[in-house]
Amino acid sequence: MSNRAFTNAGSNAGMTTSEPLIVVPLKHYGRWCWAALTLLLAVAAMNSIVNNANFEWSLVAHYLTSATVLAGVWMTIKLTVLSLLLGFAGGAVLALMRLSSNPVLVAVSWTYTWLFRAVPLLVQLFLWYNVAALYPHLAINLPWVGLVWSAPMNSIISPFSAAVLALVLHQAAYAAEIIRAGILGIGSGQNEAAKALGFDRWQTMSRIVLPQAMRTILPPAGNEVIGQLKTTAVVSVIALQDLLYSVQIIYQRTYEVIPLLMVATLWYIAMTSVLSIGQYIVERHFGRGVAAQGRAPWEYVNDFLGFKQKRGKI
Amino acid sequence: MIEVRNLKKKFGDHTVLESIDFQVSKGEVVCLVGASGSGKTTLLRCLNLLEMPDEGSITIGAKTLKFGGGSVRRNDIKELRRFSGMVFQSFNLFPHKTVMENIIEAPIIVQSRPKAVAIEEGKILLSKVGMLEHQDKYPDALSGGQQQRAAIARALMMKPEVMLFDEPTSALDPQLVREVLKVIEGLAKEGQTMVIVTHEMNFARRVSSKALFMDKGFIVESGKAAEVLTNPKEASTREFLALLDDD
Repeated sequence: MSNRAFTNAGSNAGMTTSEPLIVVPLKHYGRWCWAALTLLLAVAAMNSIVNNANFEWSLVAHYLTSATVLAGVWMTIKLTVLSLLLGFAGGAVLALMRLSSNPVLVAVSWTYTWLFRAVPLLVQLFLWYNVAALYPHLAINLPWVGLVWSAPMNSIISPFSAAVLALVLHQAAYAAEIIRAGILGIGSGQNEAAKALGFDRWQTMSRIVLPQAMRTILPPAGNEVIGQLKTTAVVSVIALQDLLYSVQIIYQRTYEVIPLLMVATLWYIAMTSVLSIGQYIVERHFGRGVAAQGRAPWEYVNDFLGFKQKRGKI
Repeated sequence: MIEVRNLKKKFGDHTVLESIDFQVSKGEVVCLVGASGSGKTTLLRCLNLLEMPDEGSITIGAKTLKFGGGSVRRNDIKELRRFSGMVFQSFNLFPHKTVMENIIEAPIIVQSRPKAVAIEEGKILLSKVGMLEHQDKYPDALSGGQQQRAAIARALMMKPEVMLFDEPTSALDPQLVREVLKVIEGLAKEGQTMVIVTHEMNFARRVSSKALFMDKGFIVESGKAAEVLTNPKEASTREFLALLDDD
């Protein structure tokens, strides 16, 4: 009844306006004002950075690609990649242990995560570097076989191996929680559907659950990756020659502190930027089948400026 | 084809299935009806061991499993499941795979069929359920009815002896129910053996050869669908059907 009345009123109103309405986009004057003000401040900041002689940009350019610095960059990359690969592999194992129905595995996994999240990375780093004081020898003794292999701990623990050990063990604890949360987010219906189709547990996990869990795992994991790259800078305290330690070596000799810190800064920015782009591409890949895809930064800019753009496919 | 003997299932202290006995012969379509909580969904889920029965035995196709004497071996579970295909109330398609990827996944991974063969068979089944044109879409881009039809095709891909349907239209908007029921009716005409849990009484009368009415974990009445669902003998069946007629 009321519906019909509404429709009639609508069509009457339609008849009185004979010309079709022209749709124009709403103008956002406020937005433009704020954008102009922000840009102005940004330009002022850039200006001061470029024209402040204390930055000594010519020195920055000189050292940016020097052999010592490049060696440091390479060490930082090695530490990041190793600690992430091994850390996330360990994290995956810990997450599966925690989600298993075996109470011993659950307890061990829980204790590991508790312990390694409780101790600061810096402390762990010193502990592993000095582990020889605790265990002077590392030996593998098998029952009935006897001594299989042994070596003095000091020959095994170098600054590099201590750094990798500390970074990996630390990373695994955090990765475990991220992966576990991702797996828990997948509904039981997916598991049941896979079971009913005859998948075994491993096939269900690798083909159905994990690929879907990746969507929720990736954003926090991306944070971890970028965080880990910067965290590797702590290894300079055990005299491992990463990017930060390399520029420190130079400026302790030349006293050109700020330019060399700028060199390190630029390299860290460059490396994290590459990682951010990588994260974006990987997230797109695992976002398949989900209507609300992440948008690229340039799409926001296009939107803001009012340019027309293709809609992403659903 | 299916033989269930003296099946019992408890959740804690609560008995959900009590002394269940029934048989389904090849080509028969059996509907399980009853109020919510009567145990019909649990019974269906027991048939492919998504719920583990506490006592009794189940035979499907060439495989018989007995329950109550210790835990069931994983291989036995897998073997029994091979004979049945399951269609869920909430479809449970894999959202990260297209319709075609959804239906060829299990044949390739579980049955090691060549991909090209699976795709060919997939196309035949998808056209049968009217989903061929949507084969490259992700489940999110489909209506509930389309998703359920794809889910039916996915279960059929495994060439099961028996199809199990767990309230296949309960999660659908009313206008989408018909398209799914039509597909199921088509399967019935081809002689596919099926067990269907449903609240669609008219559909049940039309397609099923046999109906089982469940109440409080028991099968209280069973027989020809037309009789059980039209002129029931038991008082509880009459009450249940009267409630539905009020709608």
